[in-house]
Amino acid sequence: MLKKGLTDMSQAVIVPEQAAVIADSVSKIFIQWQKREGARSIFRQQKRTVAALEDVSFQIRKGEFVAYAGPNGAGKSTTMKLLSGMLQPTKGRISVLGMSPEKDRIALMKRLGVLFGNRTELWWDHPVIQSFEWKKVVWDIPDPVYKRNLDRVRELLEIDGILNTFARELSLGQRMRADLAMMLLHSPELVLLDEPTLGLDVVAKRQMIEFLKKINREEGVTILVTSHDMDDLEEMARRIMMISKGRLVYDGDFDGLRMLAGNMTNFTVTTDGREPELQGCRLLSGEHGVFEFEADLSCTPVRVLLEMLSQADGIRDVEIRRVPIEQVIARLYQSWKSEESISNIENYTINQ
Amino acid sequence: MVDKKVSLKRYFKLLGMYARMDLASLTRDGKFMALVIAADLISNVSAISGIFLLAWKFGGIGGMDRFEVLFMLAYGNIVMGFLNMMGGSNALFPSRIIGRGQWEHMFIMPLPYGVQLTVGIFPFTGSSTFLTGVALLIVALCNLDMTFVWWWLGLLVLLLVASMVIVVSLSYLLSSLAFYAPVQCEEISSTVIYSVERAMTFPLSGMPAYVRYPLLAFFPAGLTAWFPTMILLGKTTAFENFYPAVFALFTMFTAAHFFKKGFRYYVKKGINRYVSGGHRS
Repeated sequence: MLKKGLTDMSQAVIVPEQAAVIADSVSKIFIQWQKREGARSIFRQQKRTVAALEDVSFQIRKGEFVAYAGPNGAGKSTTMKLLSGMLQPTKGRISVLGMSPEKDRIALMKRLGVLFGNRTELWWDHPVIQSFEWKKVVWDIPDPVYKRNLDRVRELLEIDGILNTFARELSLGQRMRADLAMMLLHSPELVLLDEPTLGLDVVAKRQMIEFLKKINREEGVTILVTSHDMDDLEEMARRIMMISKGRLVYDGDFDGLRMLAGNMTNFTVTTDGREPELQGCRLLSGEHGVFEFEADLSCTPVRVLLEMLSQADGIRDVEIRRVPIEQVIARLYQSWKSEESISNIENYTINQ
Repeated sequence: MVDKKVSLKRYFKLLGMYARMDLASLTRDGKFMALVIAADLISNVSAISGIFLLAWKFGGIGGMDRFEVLFMLAYGNIVMGFLNMMGGSNALFPSRIIGRGQWEHMFIMPLPYGVQLTVGIFPFTGSSTFLTGVALLIVALCNLDMTFVWWWLGLLVLLLVASMVIVVSLSYLLSSLAFYAPVQCEEISSTVIYSVERAMTFPLSGMPAYVRYPLLAFFPAGLTAWFPTMILLGKTTAFENFYPAVFALFTMFTAAHFFKKGFRYYVKKGINRYVSGGHRS
């Protein structure tokens, strides 16, 4: 059973000088006009308000690596667009590196790096290196900084072989590496990544994750990343913020998130063929003497579980594992969906 | 505080960089270069040949002789050619930028929007219309019976600027609608530009007032070639000579007002997924 109460939402307040991002009671409301049934719909449409973000507050410390997750349509991309000044909040205040994305756009963009996985900043009909040269001029990057950063991304992202290739000829993985390299040429202090691993194969994904961890660890670059791949996020970030239906529903570490879903654990029991009777544990599968169980450690502590296993007959082997974070998140999403179907969350108003 | 203004030196550096990129595109391969130049030449000559051949056949149109007509066609080519050359990256077609979601790329560039829109030049791949216009203007001038005075050249430049401002302002004025309905209005600027381009080549001399005046006031295609030609050929009154400049200022301020208003709406209310007909990502 999932716990409905949220935990670990009380992050320590960060002094403004140490904050890379401050979102204070931010709301973003959109208005949709929808077609109504019948001939009257040509002139009269239904007005629907969509709260993409509702009273969201969080702070990110300089040098932090934060994952930002949530189901489709939860408000992740809207948050990224608000932080990068592409949209303005309906309500609330946003400060990025001590600046307002709305009022200080030009100054902020010199210190901010933005990468949306579903689109490229590379010049499509030019070689990659030409896009880099373009960026150098547009961002007014001093020669030594450009050279140092170019050497670094060439080495770490292994892009030597694609520098003279036209962007349209690159594979998705190569394109993402080139985009990431270009984003880092001006030494951004804060990097916003929206689905950077989208569509990447295992090798390309690993390369990107290692690189992001490295620049965060060694150069103190603050990173806020969204992804649907929770295992990737857990590997990269220490803190995760989760959003659902426009509201921040969790802000804390990954262990806390596991606790939220009931501190579940999976374990496999190999027996001589008999099914062990373990109270409080749920049997997931069982075949040829190998049984897969799930237990909620907050209800059945490890000590009790081990005691039950030691007393059960015919046990040959036991393997206990943490539930993959992917599974934890899936449970949470499912529970939020169920809540959604029960309560009508949509706010419809008819505009006559 | 980071400067919001871009120094002239940096501006030219940006222009130079875009020019280099354009040259690189053109010289990528010899066959491509030859094809681009040949296609542009054929297109430019054919675009004006219909009107000019009519003028040649009948010894002029509506009170304008054949070289006056050629002068007008050349003037129009210079106006549109210069704008095409300077308006790379869709700067002449802002509704496309909005409708295709390209403004999101502009948000993250540390340059004022005005600079971003004006530095994306195509001096090599986009200059053929302009150069054709200049060449035709010289041919027309050599065949016109005109006495040149020193300020004539200044007047020519001033009128060209006024005509260009009118074309750009019309495009931006109508494109401001794209902030409210990005997909539906994505091509509205090209409709405006191409309509002006087609209408500007027709000599309005001798046309009835109910045709001429709307084309000088409501859909001012007449101010982008014909009326300035009349001024430059000395066929207008001193009072009328100021009209294109006044009209250009009026449309420029009107377009700036509505474009800014639309832009504010776009960042405050808009997003592709939610707004009906939101931009293509």
